[in-house]
Amino acid sequence: MKQRVLLVEDEMMVAMGMEMALSDAGYEVVGPVGNFDDAENAASREAIDVAVLDVNLRGRDVFPIADILTSRGIRFAFLTGYDRSSLPPRFLSFPLLPKPFRAEQLLATVASLLH
Amino acid sequence: MKSPYGGERQFPVVGIGASAGGLEALSALFGRLPPMPGAAFIVVTHLSPNRTNMLPEILGRYTAMPVVEAADGQIIEKDHVFLNSPQTTLTVADGHFKLNPRTEDHNPIDVLLVSLAVNFGERAVGVILSGSGTDGSIGTKAISECGGIALAQGNDNGKLKFSDMPDSAIATGFVDCVLPVAALADRLADYIASDRSVEEDKIANDINDDKKDLHELLKLSTGHDFSNYKEKTFLRRVGRRMQVHQIRDLRGYVEFIRRDPTETAFLLRDLLIGVTSFFRDGESFDALADLVVPHLFDRKSAGDMVRVWVPGCATGEEAYSLAMLLREGLDRHANEVHFQIFATDLDEKALAVARAGRYPSAVLQSVSRERLERFFVGEGSSYSITKEIRDVCRFSAHSLIRDPPFSRIDLISCRNLLIYFDSGLQNRVIPLFHYALRPQGYLFLGISENVSQHTDMFGPVDKKNRIFQRRETSNRRPEILPFFFQLDAQRSLPTQAVPVANRHSLAKRAKDRILERFAPAHVLVNREGEIIHYSSRTGRYLEQPTGAPSRNLLALARKGLDPVLRAALREAVASGRRAERSQVSVEVNGGAVQAVDLAVEPLTDGQGDTCWLVVFTDANVVPHPATPSEERADSHGGDDTVLTLQQELSDAKQRLQTVTEEHETSVEEMKSANEELLSLNEELQSANEEMETSKEEMQSLNEELNTVNAELSAKLDELDRANSDLKNLFDSTKIATMFLDNDLIIRNFTPAVGEIIKLIPSDQGRPLSDIATQLDCDTLTSDIQQVVETAEAVEKKVSRRDGKRHYLMRIVPYRMAKNEIKGASVSFVNVTDLVLAENHHRFLVAELNHRVKNMMAVVAAFSQQMAKRYTTVDDFAKAFVGRIQGMAKTHEMLSLSGWTHVGLADLLVAELSVFVVDAEHYRLIGPDIRLQPAAATTLGIAFHELATNAMKHGALSQPEGRVRVDWRIEQRTGSDWLVLTWRETGGPPVVHPATRGLGTEIISRGVGYELGGQTGIEFAPEGIVATISFPTADALT
Repeated sequence: MKQRVLLVEDEMMVAMGMEMALSDAGYEVVGPVGNFDDAENAASREAIDVAVLDVNLRGRDVFPIADILTSRGIRFAFLTGYDRSSLPPRFLSFPLLPKPFRAEQLLATVASLLH
Repeated sequence: MKSPYGGERQFPVVGIGASAGGLEALSALFGRLPPMPGAAFIVVTHLSPNRTNMLPEILGRYTAMPVVEAADGQIIEKDHVFLNSPQTTLTVADGHFKLNPRTEDHNPIDVLLVSLAVNFGERAVGVILSGSGTDGSIGTKAISECGGIALAQGNDNGKLKFSDMPDSAIATGFVDCVLPVAALADRLADYIASDRSVEEDKIANDINDDKKDLHELLKLSTGHDFSNYKEKTFLRRVGRRMQVHQIRDLRGYVEFIRRDPTETAFLLRDLLIGVTSFFRDGESFDALADLVVPHLFDRKSAGDMVRVWVPGCATGEEAYSLAMLLREGLDRHANEVHFQIFATDLDEKALAVARAGRYPSAVLQSVSRERLERFFVGEGSSYSITKEIRDVCRFSAHSLIRDPPFSRIDLISCRNLLIYFDSGLQNRVIPLFHYALRPQGYLFLGISENVSQHTDMFGPVDKKNRIFQRRETSNRRPEILPFFFQLDAQRSLPTQAVPVANRHSLAKRAKDRILERFAPAHVLVNREGEIIHYSSRTGRYLEQPTGAPSRNLLALARKGLDPVLRAALREAVASGRRAERSQVSVEVNGGAVQAVDLAVEPLTDGQGDTCWLVVFTDANVVPHPATPSEERADSHGGDDTVLTLQQELSDAKQRLQTVTEEHETSVEEMKSANEELLSLNEELQSANEEMETSKEEMQSLNEELNTVNAELSAKLDELDRANSDLKNLFDSTKIATMFLDNDLIIRNFTPAVGEIIKLIPSDQGRPLSDIATQLDCDTLTSDIQQVVETAEAVEKKVSRRDGKRHYLMRIVPYRMAKNEIKGASVSFVNVTDLVLAENHHRFLVAELNHRVKNMMAVVAAFSQQMAKRYTTVDDFAKAFVGRIQGMAKTHEMLSLSGWTHVGLADLLVAELSVFVVDAEHYRLIGPDIRLQPAAATTLGIAFHELATNAMKHGALSQPEGRVRVDWRIEQRTGSDWLVLTWRETGGPPVVHPATRGLGTEIISRGVGYELGGQTGIEFAPEGIVATISFPTADALT
């Protein structure tokens, strides 16, 4: 049974690259979703093992979705072009993947979330 | 006075007093005197004890006489000039100088002149020259009182610069001559020359006639008869006047006095000179205080008045002494009793001094310290009587001899006046005192005076101190009446009508004798009916009524005469003609009836004064005894009626008498009151003059104040302007500034401060710490404190708590003109715009950073995707570069518009231009649409993929191929969608690809993923038709 990874990323090309990398590595990608409403929907309803969240979704913060995942006990990592300092205090200790990143980095992060 | 020298050495001694400006006067005086004038000169000046006396040397140049500083015990010599030394006070005793140490109250001129007067009497001469102050006045008085002469420097064509001293001496009334200094020297020389030849005995002998003439003249012009004065005293006084005028014999003086009527006034003054001082003969005053004063008050009940009369009060010392004594007596007395002192004198000048009530301290040596403090106010070298004492003393001109006396007096103090009267005059004056006093009233006389001839009128209280008490005498009336009338008649009669009796011819005596013997009895009356002259034998018709003496003719007329007399007198006064009445029945002595003829006729003197001559003649015919009324009385059998009527008449007359007496008493009092009012008037006038002077001073002061005021108001205007400039500056400046003092109290602030610290104008003067600030700066007060202490400015960036305003705060020490720190000024420059710009800039940098990173991620993703689809590096490179170019184009467009929006048509043109497509190969049809940056990026990639495909495989690969792009807004499921169609024609035949290419993938996923839209690609044979549709809500602006 493949591990299901929720991918939330508004940049289409980046999302495509990440989807391809994760699929090649044997994960089942949920999404990718590029807007807040779809992401919220997926986070609430889909069966997910782990999630990767872009912090900024066309100008909206992804943190409410992070809160949903936290409440469901799903582990996740943030993606951002900004510093760690742009994170709210409650998420300061969460894993963070700075853009741009290589496929290997992504896979390592997802793997660490699963263990 | 005993002289220690022989007759030949009886030279005059001249005491000269000078002060400020005196050197000039002294030089002129001695320069003008003969070389050896024949007198001793003693010059006293006010010298500073610390200065060398240059005067002997200076005066030596002007006189041939030796000029020396007087030494103790030195003999006073003729034709010498002696000077005082600065350290000592000079006096003389027994013809020698006596030097005393200088005292605190330095009045050396008074001291010398008084001692000269006492030692040399008539030989003493006092000269007062230029000077300020009042030194010399008392000395002048002393010299004059002792028979010497006193001279003073007068206004010398303005040369007399310091006139206070001579003026003060003149004001005492005892200066004989006031002359410019040159004339003064001449007069002095003449006087000294004449002095040697005038001898008293010479005047006294062989001159009885002249003396009588002089008496006569004095009597005529002054009303005073001095024939009863002690001859020696009289002649001494006359001799003094003769010396003043350098007249050698009495005859000459009589002629002089005839020519110059003013001289009689001077002679009179000299004759009446009073020698007085405060509490003279202190023991007597003590006795008076013990024996008399308590009784005076004890007799009175509350509200009563004790009346004291001081005849001959001179310059007032005795009157004031008594006032002090009574005032002290009143302290020990319980009742509310008042007292009043009537002080009278003939001498108006003396009265003026008395009224002023100001005495040089020298005269006050006999006044105890206690009294001095209580009753005097010190004014420099003199003392003034306090108002309390001054107010109870009434000074008025009054002659003891000529004017009617005061009445109802409790105490008469008449000291050292009677010594000038001979026994005849004394015998009249003492009964007069008796008359004036109340029963049990007291009489206080001088030590050398007595009432020994009038023991029936006065009994001794203290014989030694000459205090007497009035005794009641029932039978003896004072013979004051004729005494007054005689003098009054002399005064009232026209001068020409009475020839000067300088010749006693037999003819005149005969005439007088005949007149006396044969002329009918007559009296002269004035308009009021008062008798001013009696002839002999009037007693038959006139009779003194009971009670107070009267001179009213009608009151005196015997029974039966007065109604007729009254009518006749009235007729004569009214008509101005002779009025006659005959056969008037008059009850003469013993009740006999005598018929009398009456005649009243006016008698006018040359000057318009009219008297009426009333002539009484006994008629020969006995009047008919039976008048009708008497007949009627007889017929009613009424001797009783007549008797009753007579009784009633007699009662009425008595009542009238009483009324008359009371009337006359009140007249006297009115007179005294009137005189008092006159003197009060004078005082008021002088007060008025003083007020005028003060007014002028006030006016000039006022003018000065006006000027100062004008200057001040001009300055105030300037200040106002400056202040208003400052206020406008404060109001107009946008820079919030506060001024604080060292204690951080707000002194001033500009209105702009209000948006930082809520200050209102009334906060000026409050501490800054009291007021809440909106600043996020908690160290504001400590910062300011630090600036005040260190005098170093502080600059800080601060913000308002709401974060909407930002300021640059500068705290600068507030420096005063002397570079002294007096607080601090705090200014706030609004830097909100700068801070906002800075923040925006920071945001932009962060955004750019993000975008660049994002773009890199996209580029990385592209390369990753493409790497899997392209087999050769060359293909990959071409496609990769094309895609990067397309993205760059979109970025360029966005950048041009400032990352706001891009027009849809512009984006198409730009993407097509990458492939250098001519405009004729494509057509763009649709409304003006503005795309948001994200949508523009996605669509830019999509258009690039479509254009790439068209260039490689589609319509744009053929010259005749065309691309048509049209778009529109459509309604779909309740929202606006943009629907765009890309349609290719005229290209090579389309082959449906086997697999979905990357381009198609990118287009469809991008539109779906990023725009939430749909794409469709139709591979129609004539050309590809691509459709892109998406909701406009998030994509368009």
